[in-house]
Amino acid sequence: MARTTVWTLTLALAASAQVRHEDIAKGALADWLTYAGTYSGWRYSPLKQINAENAKNMVAKWVYHVPNARGLRSSPIVHEGVLYITDTNSVYAVDARSGRLVWRYADPRAQKGGVNRGAAIWGNRIYFTTSDNFLVALDRQSGVLIFNKQFADVEKGTTSTSVPLIAKGKVIVGSAGGDSGMRGFIMALSAETGDELWKTYTVPAKGEKGSETWGDLIEWGGGAAWLSGTYDPGLDMLYWTTGNPWPDYNGSVRQGDNLYTCSLLALDLDSGKMNWYFQFTPHDTHDWDAQSWPVLMDTEIRGQQRKVVLHANRNGFFYALDRVTGEFLRATQLIDKVTWAKGIDDKGRPVPAGNSEPTPQGNWVCPSVKGATNWMGQSYNPGTGLLYVLTLEQCGMYFSSSQQPQPMKNFSGGGATEEGGQVVLRALDPKTGRRVWEYPMTGFGRMWTGTVSTAGGVIFTGDDDGHMVALDAKNGKNLWHFNVGELLTASPVT
Amino acid sequence: MRAFAVAFFLAAPLALFAQHGRYFRDSHHPSIGNPEAIATGTKLFMGSCAGCHGPDGGGGARGPNLVRRSLWHPLSDEAIFQVIRKGVPGTDMPPTKLGDEQTWNLVAFIHALTGPASANPVPGDAAAGKAVYWGAKAGCSSCHAIHGEGGRLGPDLSNIGGSRPLAVIRESVVEPAKDLAYLGNEAATVVLKNGTTLEGAAKNRSNYSLQLVDKQGKLHLLQMRDVKQLTLSESSPMPADYAKRLTKEELRDLLAYLADQDIRKGSK
Ligand code: HEC
Ligand code: HEC
Repeated sequence: MARTTVWTLTLALAASAQVRHEDIAKGALADWLTYAGTYSGWRYSPLKQINAENAKNMVAKWVYHVPNARGLRSSPIVHEGVLYITDTNSVYAVDARSGRLVWRYADPRAQKGGVNRGAAIWGNRIYFTTSDNFLVALDRQSGVLIFNKQFADVEKGTTSTSVPLIAKGKVIVGSAGGDSGMRGFIMALSAETGDELWKTYTVPAKGEKGSETWGDLIEWGGGAAWLSGTYDPGLDMLYWTTGNPWPDYNGSVRQGDNLYTCSLLALDLDSGKMNWYFQFTPHDTHDWDAQSWPVLMDTEIRGQQRKVVLHANRNGFFYALDRVTGEFLRATQLIDKVTWAKGIDDKGRPVPAGNSEPTPQGNWVCPSVKGATNWMGQSYNPGTGLLYVLTLEQCGMYFSSSQQPQPMKNFSGGGATEEGGQVVLRALDPKTGRRVWEYPMTGFGRMWTGTVSTAGGVIFTGDDDGHMVALDAKNGKNLWHFNVGELLTASPVT
Repeated sequence: MRAFAVAFFLAAPLALFAQHGRYFRDSHHPSIGNPEAIATGTKLFMGSCAGCHGPDGGGGARGPNLVRRSLWHPLSDEAIFQVIRKGVPGTDMPPTKLGDEQTWNLVAFIHALTGPASANPVPGDAAAGKAVYWGAKAGCSSCHAIHGEGGRLGPDLSNIGGSRPLAVIRESVVEPAKDLAYLGNEAATVVLKNGTTLEGAAKNRSNYSLQLVDKQGKLHLLQMRDVKQLTLSESSPMPADYAKRLTKEELRDLLAYLADQDIRKGSK
């Protein structure tokens, strides 16, 4: 009973508080104000009511069925007891205590469908993007439309799936569509009006620096920015990942490294200027987008205290870079079976193993097209000092096609299969890049959920059989599981 | 034992939003959406059909409301064509002897009638209607928001023209509560056990919880166990006298302004 009173009281006191930059920068607590919980991408909560001892007592409280949804990719934003989740061209505000709908906004006339990764909050507004590139601002309490403004043209192959990141009143959005030809970009829009503040392309224009790493198709080069990114308020730098070059599996028409695809970009928040870039997979031909969260933390690497950015990459390696300069510090193998590269050299460039290009008959390469990990979201727990990453041990066949590439015709220059495979949750030590423990899962390598971890020493995630699970953050011991009846497709929050 | 709670989201096929407008794939007949065809169709309709179906298809003494009917009983353009041709035997709906082209013009008109108001030519002066909407005599903005301006008690009207046929909008304005749309959006007064009284619109009320948007637009998440007394209005909070309160011209212009509210106006 006492708990209820406190809860209601908190609500009454905090009612109608505007969400400010400082609130988001503080990180998760009772509220969860940005996709990854913190600007640094930690998916970490200092809450500790649920701990390794009592996690076994958890019970399901409610279920909300998002009408017509299939495989939601959204991670909720939570503010003052309301959850905000998105589906294709729609937002749902749900009462967190009861699972009852508060309001719903939908724009069924959007020109495109496709997944949506979530909402952002700022002031009294909820923001999300439609598949056809409108930034939509809604009143968080009533769902009333404040504005919707188009920031990019679907006619140029760009769609939007990403969750906006809001920092200092700037809404940062990205571009999807890189598998059928488009020119990727990252944009800052005004949270007040939706107006464009800056736009940074992820692929240079013809003649610009970096364009020498391309062929004739550079204008359709891809490098989509379809996830979201992280932000360092101290350095005022954004960390954003880019997707594959196009056509995905046919590298012969784009000889060179194909900058800045499959890369991590460090952008200045105020101007969008690229301070540095790091390309994980030069001249990618396996659709290994770099979309996975850049995790920002400070740690000691080889005896030196560093501001680092950690990146578990689809290409099978786990990287540590200096986030001030972009200097490559280290890469270790993320999964057991990597066949395309012998390793990463001391400049950060992969050492090719040979014979791993897609072929007309198909070439067997590890990791698979899904990648050694993906966009779902890792969790860094300062209590244990460990990073928790869902990894996928899987290989696949990669095919190439000699057809003439045609932009925006859904042509990717070939194809790939994924076969068998096992999901393993791995706890990695950021200092060394080594595994501390792992939690192998039964299933068929089909899950798409990330992790969240807490000061209570618990990790919440989904397994590869449709269970929600709680693990001990120290050692990966299973504490609790609940069958939700289908595979989880996005990351939990607490 | 103390039990903790976790919340889950599941994606499940669960159908049916109240979708206004047509359900069937539009036909490819060139008259559909063609302004000239619609204009000719309008004239024909006024001459031969309006006597029974009303001038805006909103229904009359001898014929049903075609717009509202299309919401629960959608017809394809071809089916409408056949109905006009052959009538509905055994009812007052007569067959016609119109040629193909004239019949298609009528179909184009009915198609437009049942689609979003913003997609069709609408009589009246939207600029004058704007003044009516925001003015004190109508007072619409005290309850409704357009692009964030205005009250929160009633539904957002930013996209009303883009989502509703004109006849449906007209009906919501002159005969509110007719379709019980206010259920799930009831005017409510809540007295809490702690003595606080709140007034506003109750949303998604259940036996256990209630969400109330008060007159300032502030959201209150309430548990029914904290509620001492809940009074719900029997009818829509939307005033029911606009047909009388506004002149014919004011109403026409107001509707033209509402028809113009479309969040995708001007986008391709
Ligand atoms: C004498 C009155 C009358 C006239 C004149 C008339 N209608 Fe009807 N119409 C009706 C009635 C009554 C029905 C309902 C029949 C039924 O019960 O299904 C109807 C039904 C319809 C329907 C089918 C609606 C549905 O959802 O099934 C259409 C379309 C229609 N009328 C169009 C027209 C058009 C166009 C004209 C002018 C050419 C016209 N009507 C003239 C009385 C009339
Ligand atoms: C006292 C508050 C109030 C005022 C004043 C008011 N409305 Fe409403 N209105 C409501 C509420 C509540 C609803 C939803 C319930 C219903 O449909 O009856 C509503 C519904 C509507 C709808 C239907 C919305 C939909 O989504 O289908 C329209 C259109 C509308 N009002 C227009 C107007 C216009 C135009 C005016 C001014 C001439 C006006 N209202 C004045 C409260 C109000």
